[in-house]
Amino acid sequence: MRVALFVTCLADHYFAEAAADTVRLLRHLGCDVAFPADQTCCGQPAYNAGRHQEARRMARHALDVFGGAPADPTAADAVVVPSGSCATMVKKFYPRLLAGGADTSAPAALADRTFDLAEFIVHRLGVTKLGDGLAGRRVAVHQGCHALRELRLETEPAVLLEGAGAEVVPWEAEEECCGFGGLFSVKMTAVSAAMADRKLDTLPEVDWVVSGDGGCVLHLDGRNRARGTGVEFVHLATALWRGVAGDARVPADVARPAGVR
Amino acid sequence: MARVVRATASRPRLPHPGALAAAASTDDAVDAFVKRFTSSGGEVATADSERPPDDWLTDFLRGLDPEVVGVAVGPDVPRELSPGLPEVAAAHAGAGISLAWAAVADTGSLVLPSTGTRAVQLLPPVHVVWVPSGQVFARLEDALRELEPELPATVGLHSGPSKSADIGRTVVTGVHGPGRCVAVLS
Amino acid sequence: MHTGMKDYPSRSREIIRGDPGVREAVTGATIAFDRKRLQGYAEVDAEAWRRWAEGVKSHTLTHLDDYLAEAEARLEANGAEVHWAADAAEARRIVTGLADRYSVTSVVKGKSMVTEEIDLNPALEAEGIEVYETDLGEYILQLLEEPPSHILGPAIHKSLQQVQELFADRLGLEPDGDPDTLASAARQVLRDAFIRADMGITGGNFLVAETGTVALIENEGNIRLTTSLPRVHVAVVGIEKLIPRMTDLAGFLQLTARAATGQPIGCFVSLVQGPATHPDDDGPEAVHVVLVDNGRTDVLAHEHAWEALRCLRCGACLNACPVYRQTGGHAYGHVYSGPIGSVLDPGLVGLHEAMPLPFASSLCGACEDACPVRIPIPELLLEWRREAQEEGLTPWRERAALKGLAGVATRPGLYRVVGKIGSRLGGTGMARALPMLGEWAADRALPKPSRRTFRELWREGIE
Repeated sequence: MRVALFVTCLADHYFAEAAADTVRLLRHLGCDVAFPADQTCCGQPAYNAGRHQEARRMARHALDVFGGAPADPTAADAVVVPSGSCATMVKKFYPRLLAGGADTSAPAALADRTFDLAEFIVHRLGVTKLGDGLAGRRVAVHQGCHALRELRLETEPAVLLEGAGAEVVPWEAEEECCGFGGLFSVKMTAVSAAMADRKLDTLPEVDWVVSGDGGCVLHLDGRNRARGTGVEFVHLATALWRGVAGDARVPADVARPAGVR
Repeated sequence: MARVVRATASRPRLPHPGALAAAASTDDAVDAFVKRFTSSGGEVATADSERPPDDWLTDFLRGLDPEVVGVAVGPDVPRELSPGLPEVAAAHAGAGISLAWAAVADTGSLVLPSTGTRAVQLLPPVHVVWVPSGQVFARLEDALRELEPELPATVGLHSGPSKSADIGRTVVTGVHGPGRCVAVLS
Repeated sequence: MHTGMKDYPSRSREIIRGDPGVREAVTGATIAFDRKRLQGYAEVDAEAWRRWAEGVKSHTLTHLDDYLAEAEARLEANGAEVHWAADAAEARRIVTGLADRYSVTSVVKGKSMVTEEIDLNPALEAEGIEVYETDLGEYILQLLEEPPSHILGPAIHKSLQQVQELFADRLGLEPDGDPDTLASAARQVLRDAFIRADMGITGGNFLVAETGTVALIENEGNIRLTTSLPRVHVAVVGIEKLIPRMTDLAGFLQLTARAATGQPIGCFVSLVQGPATHPDDDGPEAVHVVLVDNGRTDVLAHEHAWEALRCLRCGACLNACPVYRQTGGHAYGHVYSGPIGSVLDPGLVGLHEAMPLPFASSLCGACEDACPVRIPIPELLLEWRREAQEEGLTPWRERAALKGLAGVATRPGLYRVVGKIGSRLGGTGMARALPMLGEWAADRALPKPSRRTFRELWREGIE
């Protein structure tokens, strides 16, 4: 299986090691991973702000980079995105944004072969068992809203974490929005922080909070550190790679996304 | 109205999706009504078929806590279904006695036409309602379809006692309407 | 009734910081409502019901002229009088005119959002008429002189203790009464008001075109009393409340209750066709229906926003909304708050006036999942945001930043350079370079960029 990694701007700059773990994980699962060098941002910040023109330009750029014609022998079989929100942008919002344009089949085709990381492993590769490297570890899952409600990935991250040996602890506010919402967290910062507080206040006793959405983690962990709640946030890709490789093969500073102390 | 015409002018007119295909309950309609109505806080009593209904009702009302002394009776309640207790104005009655047009199973509702006088249905703290036998509909839709040609000025659907949770999220009953609602099956 | 939507950011901050009891009460109440909705949906084929309801409402809205004409004719045949109000002022004039015509001195009201919207109570009071809100929650707010905070539970932001203090002060009760004692004290005051009132004023959950039926859903019985005891009943109904047939109503009564509170149906439903005509009927001698536009035809004409007119006012989107839960309704500055308010208000009062409500959402989508008529609220919010951007209603810095992002993101070489600079600057440097991040950082520790970008790791080889 040839996979093109759409790393996303956030993971490129803030979760570089988690992105690298995505590559390790995919290779471990037998994928041939390519990284198209001209990729940039999916355009979601502009789309969510209502700047459709700019979002459209960025969407077209992504189509140029990832949208290789199906007949192209070098084209990847799948595009994998280690971010539920950016995957949703490609899968759900590109077709909407580019509807009425010259070519609507290209966005639809890209949408069809683009996957969120957990979605790809469970549904495209059909894998749910990843090892037992997380045995004895208690984790809570924060599922990003786009992955949850647009892609309907309700159980996939938990299934994979359990398949890597972890104990997934139920969380009262598990399905509630953390309050990030991109621009929302900048414009309505008090409400956004209060939403993060609700998540943190209801958090059960766990070793890690795991999420496949970097944006949510930046915001939640930012609030976590400002309050001194002292919870450790781990990107889903890193957690799953640990499940495969165990602690020994992962250098200490790799195990957590940058910025988490 | 001209503005409504203008506002809808450019939009395609969408079709009506037809009837809601609600699954008919497999339960017997009377059983289903009892289950629904009581789970909403309503009470169900069955008249003793061995006795005249007015006697049975008189004893039933005397047995309530607190005992009912004066009652208000709807004008459409037949004599043989009226209790042998002094009749007083609805505002002062311990119980109102009504005759429902029908009961509905899927919502657990009593269908009360305004011709039964509304004060009797609303003011006393206890509302006792005769349900005519054979008039228990499985679905609200069926009941409303049947009622439609003879709609009175107002119809009340009563599906349990008056309730509110507006203070401290605690449910209290009998806020404005009757605090007890008893459906009598015969 | 609006106090200014533009202050949403500051007002929400004030509520969260200054009155934390509101957040606690609203979060607790909405989560409880939301769980009941989920139970209520689980007992039926909720997906099929929601699709059906969406279909009926969309059908009705695209045939609204026909159904309004049918409803008017039926109501008049039933002996009711129909009035048309283009805006709030006209609606107020119609109702105060009716009060004058029937020499009304005392009014009882059932809970109604539309009469809040048209600011009816002050207009009646200015005529020397006493007005009683009879829904328990509304009565509490009337004593406090506050607008409702929630469509369904107008006083959900108040704690038991606040109500105890209020009733001690205003009704002379002991300050430690339980909810039963407090409710029965209110019942006594309001029972007298019901008996005394000349006019009952309600809204309307539905208006059935085929039969001219105004349908009203409630749990307390106050609406049944309001439509029954006074000699005149006035129903103020938005023109979007139409549904075609009585059989449609059967579905909507159930779906509304399930969405709102999880109940199979409200404890009391009033189906009002017209004034009492039967000799045994002790109901009102006159029934008036005031059909209110007040911006609705503008919403109806809007390419996207018209879908919001399907709204049943059940409150399910408020209950599901994690944004609403932090502040309750007052932060929004308009009678329709929460997710539905943020898509409806720009259409009703104008986008400029309603800014920045379309941005008061994290777009999490919980509202759309909860909505019984499947209003695509996140999509509509995005449409309003697009219009706001096109009309230049957003801060220039934000526009410039997003233009800049697009410029960089469509030039891979430039993107790599800028990304690297960003990483080298670190969190604090980024905050200095992008002043918008300053506020973000007031509540959160700044993120630290990875020491090396993924691009660099990839180039060096990942093993």
